[in-house]
Amino acid sequence: MSSLAASELRVRLGTRDVLTAVSCTLRAGEFVLLAGRNGAGKSTLLRTLLGALPPDAGRVVLHDKPIAAWQGKERAQRIAFVPQSVDTPFEFTGRELVTMGRHPHRHRGEALSRDDLDAIERALVAVDALPFAARPVTTLSGGEQRRIAVARALATEAPLLLLDEPTNNLDLEHALQLVAMLARFAAAGRGVLVASHDLNLFARHCSRVVLLHEGRVFADGPPEQALAEANVAAVFGVQSVAPSGFFPREFRL
Amino acid sequence: MAGLVAVAALYLGVAREGPGFVVLGQWIAGWFGGLAPSLTDAFIVADIRAPRLLVALFGGAALALAGTVMQATFRNPLASPDLVGTTAGAALGGALMIVLDLSRVGVVATPLGSLLGAMLVTSLVFVLARSHGRFAVSTLLLAGIALNTLVGALTSFVVTFTFDNYTASSRVLFWLMGGLEARTWEHALITMLGCLGFAALVAPRARDLDLLTLHDDTAHSLGVDAAAARRYLVWCACGLTATTVSNTGGIAFVGLVVPHLARLLVGPSHRVLLPTSALLGALLLAASDFACRLTPPDANLRLGVVTAFLGAPYFLWLLARHRRGEAL
Repeated sequence: MSSLAASELRVRLGTRDVLTAVSCTLRAGEFVLLAGRNGAGKSTLLRTLLGALPPDAGRVVLHDKPIAAWQGKERAQRIAFVPQSVDTPFEFTGRELVTMGRHPHRHRGEALSRDDLDAIERALVAVDALPFAARPVTTLSGGEQRRIAVARALATEAPLLLLDEPTNNLDLEHALQLVAMLARFAAAGRGVLVASHDLNLFARHCSRVVLLHEGRVFADGPPEQALAEANVAAVFGVQSVAPSGFFPREFRL
Repeated sequence: MAGLVAVAALYLGVAREGPGFVVLGQWIAGWFGGLAPSLTDAFIVADIRAPRLLVALFGGAALALAGTVMQATFRNPLASPDLVGTTAGAALGGALMIVLDLSRVGVVATPLGSLLGAMLVTSLVFVLARSHGRFAVSTLLLAGIALNTLVGALTSFVVTFTFDNYTASSRVLFWLMGGLEARTWEHALITMLGCLGFAALVAPRARDLDLLTLHDDTAHSLGVDAAAARRYLVWCACGLTATTVSNTGGIAFVGLVVPHLARLLVGPSHRVLLPTSALLGALLLAASDFACRLTPPDANLRLGVVTAFLGAPYFLWLLARHRRGEAL
């Protein structure tokens, strides 16, 4: 069973403590929303969970083994990451970028296997990226680049998926498709952790919300508890009104 | 590849040597006609042209490979051994070896000095230009300009400091100006070994180079230790540059222009880009040196001037393309 657990993380960047005593978990089958204001430490927490940023204190454990103890490719077969942008200055095609998602499964100098090609195809189809997969990524729109980045993470076939603002730049149709797809993954046994500001889009589908505030976990629980009106008011400084049910809500200053 | 063979054949076959032309065709025709080549002709082809051609081919390939590796590892299409101080460091290291008369100790002394200089200066630029795990164009340019200026000044100081020793300072000056005159088989061997050796270290890492063009966190998430891979590959680029610069002096633009040209032809995937860059670099430097050798000797056309003549217009064209909204 795949799991990722962080305990008592403290991360200092420059002169500022970005994370202070942060503990959280991600288990297989969970769909977790990581929410909080700008600068709350969401991206830093994702980087630390990924093992890309060693914490100053505390530890991250993947399958009962410290994240830093994993060999790079073995770790990459277990956690995939979708960054905020595609971020390459070179004109790789969408398909070439998605092919990079198979790196953890390939030995040095090894050609693409049938399994690799199938995984790449499935990933491109999953995000509806086949029509523009052959185009240089620098000519794609922000939303199309985003879908390529998601497809690359899917191509790793890792059971745990961390996504940083995955719906930024996505049009309504593809944003809804992405959330539905992530919910399906979680239902199929994968663990999904999404950092996002889009509470209305994710709160209805996720199983748990981790609410970060000023580098600390303010709330961690089912969406209706973690995003209770009092918590939203305390963390975001806005009123939230639900016209019917729990979400979507209308936010007011 | 065909172009490379054509240039190599032309290079060996037709060029001005001293005041007149020696034409390989005549030599071969004479040989088939039962006439042994004159000793002078045989010497010119085997001991002057052949090593010079090999230095041009492998030096061009090495500089192009170094540029390709640096552009990927610095995630910046404007990075090159000239810009990030590698060439200047190699020049200073080599100059010191010549001035200190260590170059007489063994043929590898100057290349070793160049290698140390290249690694030292590149490391400094590396540390200075890095900001939050990225190499932004502005910081890379600033660090490169600062270090290039400083190291260039130090090299000039080394030359002027030894003006009393006319032989040493003139040797350094001649070497610094760049060019492939009077290259021997020793130079050819060092350039070939440097190019092939370091290329053999880079080639298996083609996929890592692809991944390093992404953000470090993304490369990390795909199983690449970005910092370690970048260090290793930049050292290889330093090796490629230093072994070439120690045998050719400073040759501008090859490391910057050729990777661009190769990417336009075959795309950015390094499995194909590396060999294409190497071939184009070899072709460009051999053709440029061939152009130098066709001009009358009193024109004193330097190889660096020819490569700069080719490089500058190419970048103006690139600028025009970029202004139309296309990627660099």
